[in-house]
Amino acid sequence: MLLIAGIIPRADTPLIYGTAARQGSLLSIDGYDIPSGQGTAAMISAALAMTEYLQIDPPRVVIAGDIGRGNGSRLIYQYLIEHLAEISPRVLALHYWMPDLELMQELYEQVQLLNPRPMLIADAASMYAAKAVGLASGFDVFTPDLSEIAFLADAEAIHPAYIDKHLFESCDVNSIPELIAAAYRNQGAARFLLVKGESDFIADKNGILASIDGPDIPELECIGGTGDTITGMCAALIFSGMDIENALKLSAQTNREAGAINHTTPATRIEEIIARLPEVFRSKLNPRE
Amino acid sequence: MFWPKKKNRKALRNKSEAKQGKGLVLFDTVEEAIKAEKLVTKAGYECCLVAPPPSLRKGCDVAVEINLVEQPAIERTLQPVSYNEVVPLAGSAQLLDIVQVFEFPEHIMVKAGNMKLTFETQSGIIVNTSGGGCPDIPYLHIEMMGKHLDEIPRPRDIGHTLCALMLDRAVEGAREIWAEGGTV
Repeated sequence: MLLIAGIIPRADTPLIYGTAARQGSLLSIDGYDIPSGQGTAAMISAALAMTEYLQIDPPRVVIAGDIGRGNGSRLIYQYLIEHLAEISPRVLALHYWMPDLELMQELYEQVQLLNPRPMLIADAASMYAAKAVGLASGFDVFTPDLSEIAFLADAEAIHPAYIDKHLFESCDVNSIPELIAAAYRNQGAARFLLVKGESDFIADKNGILASIDGPDIPELECIGGTGDTITGMCAALIFSGMDIENALKLSAQTNREAGAINHTTPATRIEEIIARLPEVFRSKLNPRE
Repeated sequence: MFWPKKKNRKALRNKSEAKQGKGLVLFDTVEEAIKAEKLVTKAGYECCLVAPPPSLRKGCDVAVEINLVEQPAIERTLQPVSYNEVVPLAGSAQLLDIVQVFEFPEHIMVKAGNMKLTFETQSGIIVNTSGGGCPDIPYLHIEMMGKHLDEIPRPRDIGHTLCALMLDRAVEGAREIWAEGGTV
């Protein structure tokens, strides 16, 4: 099972555990209709698009409403801590939520008890929490952007807002190899990293394994959710059995191709990019391979 | 609906090996610190009174320890009291204040730390926000999309987390550009 966990931006939505399905332009989970764009919903939508194309089980999700107070986030942490053993996912992808370091530590301890242990993917504040609490190297995949790789490289930072100023000032595409090396040196990186940016870099502790440079669509950086779709596709591909390095390459490449299908501007909405994904899958992926 | 079993947060806290993720609110007087601790607790945020380490001490020898990621919401709660500053217990003592600007033919993207805000240069309308990872960011995105830079509530006023504070800096940068005619 692929299990995705994260918050949705509604104050009054309770904790929901169920299978993701498409309901027109919305996501439908356990009878609740949820907008498919933004944050964890964008990640689920991209993962669902991929599982539908590959004809494999759709993602199961644990979501709750949270607009910043952390109440929904803590419901998700607690649900996972209490139910992970019975759910026993093969891939666990953690996403937007309040970075509660104590609960992250406790969740990680529960993951370690599972046999087989699931593949662990973290993006957004789940990645911040995993790094801040010193558990980064126990994760299989992080998908940081440029500012976030600087955060992972800063041994003491607990959030990207408080990273070393000089590290941030010096971070550009040329400094990525050094930032990746520093992140691994400081135990701030997962087993694999996908650093998203002008070029996307896939790396492990030995350095950069691959880069994806085109098509170059700089407008994608403006669009909220374009990082989330990469993480969603990557989670689904790993769940399908693809090795992590290839899953990361294909996800990053697919996102760029989706940006290139039609005219993409800084005002393009993530829902439009998600809608283009199946067309890219058809040209890039053979579901029988 | 799922209701979690009651957890003993104190027990969890004891398992924490370090003060990871914590910040300190520093005060001139013990009275202000005690008043602040009561306000923050009443508002529903976790906090406690502590003695700040010598390297961070400014003013009195009592501080309020908070979850640093909730800094903007806690600073709002602290408006009735006088405090010196909020500092992280580890890492850089300064919030990032670097704003970067990227131009597109009809839009400008303003980047502050891990947050980005893009507006249309002709109209001042916000067309996208991206980046970040805290739980108020998707909510703030919805609140700001399609609205004019001058008409939105400030993320620092309705957000709760450090990501919201970074987004606020991007809004501030964008408003400055807009006020100067929408050109860099």
